[in-house]
Amino acid sequence: MSIATENAQQLAVKGNKPKHEKTDKIVSGSEAVILSLIEEGVDTIFGYPGGAIMPIYDALFHYRHALNHILVRHEQGATHAAEGYAQMAGKPGVCFATSGPGATNLVTGIADAMLDSVPIVCITGQVPEKFLGTDAFQETDVMSLAMPITKWCYQIADADEIPYILAKAFYIARSGRPGPVLIDITKCAQFDSMTKPFRYEKRKQIKGYKPACKPREKDITKAVELLNQAKRPFLFVGHGVLLSKAENELLKFIEKTDIPVASTLLGLSAFPSDHPNYKGMLGMHGNYAPNKLTNKADVIIAVGMRFDDRVTGNLDTYAKQAKVIHIDIDHAEMGKNVIPTVAMIADAKEALQALIPAVNENKHESWHQEFKKLYDEEYEKVIEKDFTAHDELIKMGEVIRRLSEKTKGEAVVVADVGQHQMSAARYSKFRKTDSWLTSGGLGTMGYALPASFGAKMGAPDREVVAVIGDGCFQMTIQELGTIAQSGLPVKIIVLNNNYLGMVRQWQQLFFDTRYSFVELSNPDFITIAKGFGIKGHRCMHADDLDSSLDTLINSTEAYLLEISVEKEANVFPMMPSGMGVDDIRLD
Amino acid sequence: MKRRYTIIVFTENNFGLLNRITIIFSRRRINIESLTVSETERKGISRFTIVIDYDETKIRKLIQQIRKIIGVLVVFENEDDQVFFGQIAYFKVITSSFEEREKVMEIAHRHQAKIAFSSDDYIVIEKSGKEEDISTTLHLLEPHGVVEYCKSGRIAIVKDQHRFSKYAKNMDPEGWYSDEEFHELQSNGRHSF
Ligand SMILES: Cc1ncc(C[n+]2csc(CCOP(=O)(O)OP(=O)(O)O)c2C)c(N)n1
Repeated sequence: MSIATENAQQLAVKGNKPKHEKTDKIVSGSEAVILSLIEEGVDTIFGYPGGAIMPIYDALFHYRHALNHILVRHEQGATHAAEGYAQMAGKPGVCFATSGPGATNLVTGIADAMLDSVPIVCITGQVPEKFLGTDAFQETDVMSLAMPITKWCYQIADADEIPYILAKAFYIARSGRPGPVLIDITKCAQFDSMTKPFRYEKRKQIKGYKPACKPREKDITKAVELLNQAKRPFLFVGHGVLLSKAENELLKFIEKTDIPVASTLLGLSAFPSDHPNYKGMLGMHGNYAPNKLTNKADVIIAVGMRFDDRVTGNLDTYAKQAKVIHIDIDHAEMGKNVIPTVAMIADAKEALQALIPAVNENKHESWHQEFKKLYDEEYEKVIEKDFTAHDELIKMGEVIRRLSEKTKGEAVVVADVGQHQMSAARYSKFRKTDSWLTSGGLGTMGYALPASFGAKMGAPDREVVAVIGDGCFQMTIQELGTIAQSGLPVKIIVLNNNYLGMVRQWQQLFFDTRYSFVELSNPDFITIAKGFGIKGHRCMHADDLDSSLDTLINSTEAYLLEISVEKEANVFPMMPSGMGVDDIRLD
Repeated sequence: MKRRYTIIVFTENNFGLLNRITIIFSRRRINIESLTVSETERKGISRFTIVIDYDETKIRKLIQQIRKIIGVLVVFENEDDQVFFGQIAYFKVITSSFEEREKVMEIAHRHQAKIAFSSDDYIVIEKSGKEEDISTTLHLLEPHGVVEYCKSGRIAIVKDQHRFSKYAKNMDPEGWYSDEEFHELQSNGRHSF
């Protein structure tokens, strides 16, 4: 049996709780790591071995029936895959890497997970304790590297600490505002035997860490008062809604109050795109109406979002007229960028549950009309053009529109970073929640390919389509090997404009068309995919688009569709950096 | 506008926490004027006293970021009038003659400093108090030949009895805030929403 089919079969039985014998034996540190992961309900690990983590890999060999390990091609891939997995499976993704270069390769993905609040637990091997601080072979001070980019990190040099610290790691990663955790384990701690029998207890509380609290009565009362009086209320949905699984509450809240809804980049798919109250995306390349009308709303209720600078633009001119109700689980987000009138530190679901019975039923027809007017303007100046081929050249918008139609808005779209990301965000229609993954906070090129197979492992029943630019593709293109070896039916669309398109757009608009090092002379992607054992097709003409997309979607295996798109198309609307939401341009 | 703040942080006594906390400052390019760390009367709990000059509109955000660090138990930000505070300094003064020695001891006496150590040819004077008092003493001693001088960071005690004791239970092994206390802590001081 090939490795690919073996892995595919493992995948098929996924969901059955891994079987292992409960132990109260004295075990080695490495075995304790593996047993802890199993106790924590981990079924999949993304990783890459090396000297300093070999004892753990050796222990994993004995438990390979219980724990599925995916051998990535670069440790950055492991972190993004773990992110994709975490978001779809709803539990922390796990990565293994060796010390030194293995650990430093994790850094980008960890920073990505930190900014996007994705729970991942990274376990790195470390040189033996007696070598710490000596520039030993493959020693890096991974703790110092990890501190500013993790929610928590810890170095273990004593095998006895392993179960307790791993339980803490998982609890911290998944609770409150989720985030990445890194545990560095010295080689001796992996080899050594524990001095007491292995016992594992999942954590429910940690001193010095309060992940969530109930909303205060007085905040609920004040928020309800504001909402009931509002003439032009506006609701912003962020990633927090998805993280707290508050989508149903959000829908109920909106059906009762009739408030218009806009989403942040990471909040996409938390609210159905075809709902009449949905007005589109906020931010730099968001929709025209929600950006413009941010400065017309009298009450803004922001749920699980953090007023990121790509959403607000210039804070001096941002929503000055509005009373803001800010709901977020992270107290440090309160007043960080926008001073709220009501700061509700709470889980989004609990906050909405408290608000729903208390708010009045309402209608806001004329307010909705204002959105409609601006949408029509955007449609005429931007959207319609993004859907119409010009000289047979395919537009990114058109690809996304058709993809969305063909998948009935039910696929998980994993977008990389650039123009294609913004097109995918703007033109994907979402009918199911958890259908959108992208690197929002860090904007990490190379995210999508590994995140897509992670997502597929986290939700094997869902169609996963990665939308990637030609530049981004080449940042983690080697992960095609991982996809092939795991037999994961991930669908990949590369939108090829032979440019680092988003940077080219900025150079065109703000640097007098001085195209400084943004042109790409690309390899033959289809041949590369073929070399990895993945089928593919290059679509060059508009009249081939439809059938190409059909082939992609109908494929039962991984498939690469490269689409040549118009070279110098720009993404609009656009809020130039440093400007305010009012300054958003349609051309 | 910038003001002087004394930030008092109680943490678990784990390695790495000092780093985690100082990153919060260095990342924002805040210069730490003084930093003192020691274990408290409770085993396993450390007390940080950090002095910075910082913008009053931004201090709350900074405190919130420190509170977020896992292992940080309680954080208070204080202006000078909210704390008793002081520093300690040592001066090593060479005393070549008996007269010199008399003069130096007289200065120490007048400034409530004490003789910490004395040998045939030098004296170590210990002075505690506010920064200004210490520098006044330094200026007076300098003409007599201060060959070594060092000064500790600030240590401080919160004046308001309740502000501190209320949250001290969080330092008990199993103690942790209730939701109400948590909210209160988040919105304490002059920056409440
Ligand atoms: C690792 C990394 N390096 C650089 C950038 C800056 N950057 C943002 S978008 C972009 C261009 C992306 O090009 P491509 O993948 O071809 O997508 P397109 O914009 O053409 O759709 C670049 C270089 C980044 N976001 N991440």
